Amino acid sequence: MTTTLEKAPAPTPEPRGRLAPVAPYASALQIAGGALTLIGALLPWATFVLNEGPYPEKATLEFFTAPLAVTGFRLHLVLFGIAAIVLSLVTVPARGRMLQGLGWGVVAVTLANTLYLVAEGGGLGTITAADGAVAFGPIVALVGGALIVLGGSARRREDKPVWAWRSNRYVEWAILLVTYVLLLLLVAAVLTSGGQGTAANVYSGAVFLSFLGAVGGLLAALQASGLLTWIAAVSERHRLFSVVVLLFVALALPLTQAGTEYWMTVAANIGVYAATAIGLNIVVGLAGLLDLGYVAFLGIGAFVAANLSGAAAAQFDIEVPFPLVMVISAVVAGTFGAVVGSPTLRVRGDYLAIVTLAFGEIFVRSSQNNIGGFTGGSNAIPGIPPVSAFGNDFNDELIIGSVELPRGALYYVLIVLIVAAVMLVFGNLKNSRLGRAWIAIREDEDAARAMGIRTGPVKILAFMIGATIAGFAGAFFAHKTGTVSYESFKFLESVTLLAAVILGGMGTIPGAVLGASILFVLPEKLREFADYRLLLFGIALILIMRFRPQGLVPDSHRRAELAPDSGVPPTPGTAAKAAAS
Amino acid sequence: MTRRRTIVTAAILAGALGLTACGTNREEEPAAGGAAAGACDTGKGTLIIGMVAPLSGSLSALGLGMRNSAQLAVDQANEACSVPGYKLAFQPEDDQATPQVAGQAATKLSSDPQVVGVVGTLNSSTSQTVQPILNGRDIVQISPANTGPALTLGEAAATAPVRPFDSYFRVATTDLVQGPFAADYLVTTAGKKSIAVIDDGKTYGAGLAEQFATRATALGAQVVAREKVGEKDTDFSGVITAIRALNPDAVYYGGEYPVAGPLSAQLAAAGLAIPLMGGDGIVDAQFVALGGRVGDLATNIGAPAESLPSAKKFIDDYAAAGYTEPYSAYGAFTYDSTNVIIGALTTALADGDYTEEKRADIVKAVQETDIEGAGGSISFDEFGDTTNKVLTVYTVEGDSFAPIEGSTGAFEG
Amino acid sequence: MLPTLLSQIVNGLVLGSLIGLIALGYTMVYGIIQLINFAHGEIFMIGAYGGLAMFTYLLPTFVQQQWYLALPLLLLAGAGVSVGVALIMERFAYRPLRNAPRLAPLITALGVSVALQEGVRVFYPGATAALPFPKVFVQGTWAIPVPGGTVPLRWTGLLIIVVSLVLAFALNSFVNNSRMGRAMRATSQDRDVARLMGIDPDRVIVLTFVLGATLAGVAGILYGADLGFINIDIGFQNGIFAFTAAVLGGIGSIKGAVAGGLSIGLIKALGGQYLPGGTAYDYVWIFVVLIAVLVFRPQGFFGETERVRA
Repeated sequence: MTTTLEKAPAPTPEPRGRLAPVAPYASALQIAGGALTLIGALLPWATFVLNEGPYPEKATLEFFTAPLAVTGFRLHLVLFGIAAIVLSLVTVPARGRMLQGLGWGVVAVTLANTLYLVAEGGGLGTITAADGAVAFGPIVALVGGALIVLGGSARRREDKPVWAWRSNRYVEWAILLVTYVLLLLLVAAVLTSGGQGTAANVYSGAVFLSFLGAVGGLLAALQASGLLTWIAAVSERHRLFSVVVLLFVALALPLTQAGTEYWMTVAANIGVYAATAIGLNIVVGLAGLLDLGYVAFLGIGAFVAANLSGAAAAQFDIEVPFPLVMVISAVVAGTFGAVVGSPTLRVRGDYLAIVTLAFGEIFVRSSQNNIGGFTGGSNAIPGIPPVSAFGNDFNDELIIGSVELPRGALYYVLIVLIVAAVMLVFGNLKNSRLGRAWIAIREDEDAARAMGIRTGPVKILAFMIGATIAGFAGAFFAHKTGTVSYESFKFLESVTLLAAVILGGMGTIPGAVLGASILFVLPEKLREFADYRLLLFGIALILIMRFRPQGLVPDSHRRAELAPDSGVPPTPGTAAKAAAS
Repeated sequence: MTRRRTIVTAAILAGALGLTACGTNREEEPAAGGAAAGACDTGKGTLIIGMVAPLSGSLSALGLGMRNSAQLAVDQANEACSVPGYKLAFQPEDDQATPQVAGQAATKLSSDPQVVGVVGTLNSSTSQTVQPILNGRDIVQISPANTGPALTLGEAAATAPVRPFDSYFRVATTDLVQGPFAADYLVTTAGKKSIAVIDDGKTYGAGLAEQFATRATALGAQVVAREKVGEKDTDFSGVITAIRALNPDAVYYGGEYPVAGPLSAQLAAAGLAIPLMGGDGIVDAQFVALGGRVGDLATNIGAPAESLPSAKKFIDDYAAAGYTEPYSAYGAFTYDSTNVIIGALTTALADGDYTEEKRADIVKAVQETDIEGAGGSISFDEFGDTTNKVLTVYTVEGDSFAPIEGSTGAFEG
Repeated sequence: MLPTLLSQIVNGLVLGSLIGLIALGYTMVYGIIQLINFAHGEIFMIGAYGGLAMFTYLLPTFVQQQWYLALPLLLLAGAGVSVGVALIMERFAYRPLRNAPRLAPLITALGVSVALQEGVRVFYPGATAALPFPKVFVQGTWAIPVPGGTVPLRWTGLLIIVVSLVLAFALNSFVNNSRMGRAMRATSQDRDVARLMGIDPDRVIVLTFVLGATLAGVAGILYGADLGFINIDIGFQNGIFAFTAAVLGGIGSIKGAVAGGLSIGLIKALGGQYLPGGTAYDYVWIFVVLIAVLVFRPQGFFGETERVRA
């Protein structure tokens, strides 16, 4: 329902409207754009050394001393510029689209750095001319990027190419393996780009944004070339292999440069919210029931675990082994889920959303008032011991042979396994009879009922399973954080979870994980905007709903339902075959 | 249509950029180490003082005041070359007033070898997650605001105190001190025998009210009502009507001035012309602006500010620095906490350059601190609590709080 | 005890009529476009800040000192700011989603709510903390004598009750008797048919938002004047209460919104006094009532029989 129709490209699209007159000069425009990008990258970027310390990659009149020693974002620009020139001279399929991607990449990289320079330098004088120094790098590069985009748009004639190349299984496995390792390295590079934003490292936000822009441009170009689609098709063909390798790749993150205690902690927090968001995705994405009090289930799971942890403030003076605690938390949360879900028998749509909001508020109020002594009220429940196995606390560092894992790596491994398990559950449920029933209810409840689906129990099951997953994650949360306080489960947290699901894409497995990652990594990397975090968050929600309600990773099932000429949802295999024939 | 919108957006952006004009903020002589370093030698690098506090969300008023106050202390230290050879940098981290985010912020700070100490947090619940993380790396933590007794005294704070974390200190007094001190004054000195106790359900307020009620009962007064208001409430008529029927002759409120001021005004409006008393969280000029009445009482930590030139200097310096947010309830203590860390850092580095091993020395030096701060004299007992248990009772006169003559004293339990 | 009971009833009526005033905005918007305008509470909050800004930065001192000069101007400013924000919100956030699936506008409304609240916090000077609100009405209390004591009623509280009832009555007659009101009712019943009858639904929807925001802005000023201070959180909580009131009274019904508001006020006041848990749980009772109403009588007091809501 929340999907906009993706327009299928018309068979031979002519350059449209205003761009038509530019079309003959597309190549020239692109070459000029690429050249300008190159020149811009080599020109100075700032008229003076900023007060906060020199801008990364100097960005001053370095060209005359070391013209080829470009690094960082200037290197990205140089590469993009060269790529643009090469692409406009060599005929490859869909180069218009690829160039567009590259062009947007150039624009993004340039804008990120330019805005920082202007803001930090106190005005446009920083990037033009001031005090006898000139620095037109940003403006030249920006014009270059714009020209590349313009040329690319004017040229846009071809469809995205479909690669039909197949090989034997082992070659394809090798290709997938390499791809996933590259993906791991890319993720690690994005996480660590710019370093940790600390007081001594003031430009980390700019470096990160710039890097993100470069990665975005690169991915857009690759997507346009059809390579990513092909890889997706290959991985679909070797689904089991992909899943296993991806799991190992995820587990290998502590071994990359992102393997620091800090990123392990961030990743563990992301994991908790990702697992919870997947649970929410069952309720909202699959069954179409908006839950605005969902974080309460995470809270219930966490409080149950806290009370069974042997912490001094716990209500019960027993220490239950962690695996058992997870099960108990999940069961208790699931039971509450069924209770909260029971009004679905009578209430629908946005009224249901308000009922769940009311339950969430009741939970916050009650736990703030230390109901039954289970929540510690305003004192919270502190001092929850870390999970330990084989005499090793999970928050200590671990040395296996010659490999030293950072503190928190064990928690990271644990949460990756939990998220993987939750994803497995979600994937299986989605394709099960129950999952189809949920989707049917989401699309049209009355029709679903008419088709013989017992909508009541099915809807309550959605709530129950979603809550169970949250409770499961809550137990982990309690032990990892060490303190459980009602403050962690307020309304805004529910909205954040919902935003993660929506941003990632409702009803998809990777969507919730991607959404949670973005919502947690961005504030970490861009601490300059801490004051505006929630403001930007609210605006982002509005913009997503307006421009991309299907999220970053749209549900392939929905896409298939809405595809113009297919009655049957095409499996990737058949799609490839169709393309090959 | 889309294209037109893009153009319009671009035009607006360009206009906005144009407004900033072609200027720069270039400073005449950019020092090698940065703007504020002035003429100091900062050749040995940068050391970081961190902060964990709520910088966004509904508690940000207090958190931003803390941030600015610590920034002021760090800037002053850089100007005065307090730590020879090093530039100090200040790194505030937002904890969003939630424990797990605070834990993440603490991990971020603790994994940075340049961090020499952390100021914060605001909420006791966030401190509970921050403490073990920083303690694991021997990083000193000084909170200007935590009042929960368990943070320094362990779970059995009142009976068998055990210090849980050696690297944790605070310059705020615990509820165990302030609540009973207020009870002594209100019951014994002011002679109020029938008291309604209200709190805001947060750690600070609830703890304070609890300790007050216990002591007041022990002194023979009657706690006629024990009510809670929500931290986001604005209309307290329900609570006031409930206690009005019980004819109290005073109200004790555990919480902060944004609620206490309106509460006082609404008490009067309901015909209850009885004084409201609170803790240091209500000692703020805004209390009166928001409805606090003449005759309302509050306890505050330390001797009256007029007797402390350091307090006046802080207030003046803060005003001169031109921050947009007021320094709020914990500004002075945050400033002091930061200065304690800076002082300890100087001491610890007297015999060698900074390495991570020096962190333990910093903790030791903080333990031995004895300075005169903006909020009174500062030194720490064996639990990391401030030894400054001197409190003063204030009352509203005109449009601000004034100390009551002869009410200053130390609470001895 | 009689004075306590009557006092709590008075408290309930004051809060309730204010909630009712806000609830009118919810009920009208929901009646016309079936949108839970989650951000309506923030419109109320923004009205209060608009009035405060006017008072602080625009009014000369002699006007500030005379409440009978300041109050009307503040009401105008509050309503004006609320209407302005509501119009921007309708035009840029909601209108593009007019035909989107049901969840999309609701999530947008959540986003608008967060953005408005944070926008005020970040950009209004000093709004990170509570701000004093000028005393723009007669201060003091009317102690109503009853057997066994007195019942206090603030004059500002009385003002809230009177203004709310007057405005609700005016709105009711506008919707029922005027040409535009008929157009509104027609649009709420069937937008497409209304369009065929020559009604411009966009105009009607804009008018609905304008009316709702006007009432919310007025409510914001009255609220500030009554309590003497405002903060950025007043919108969310009162917004939820008002929505509850709208549902309780029967969504789409003007009488219902007022009746629902009064009921909510009474539940909070009396629940906090007489139900277990005391005032610490008074909000919980409101939410319990909300759930119960939605589950067992979703059409509320005055609502028509339940529509199909998918």
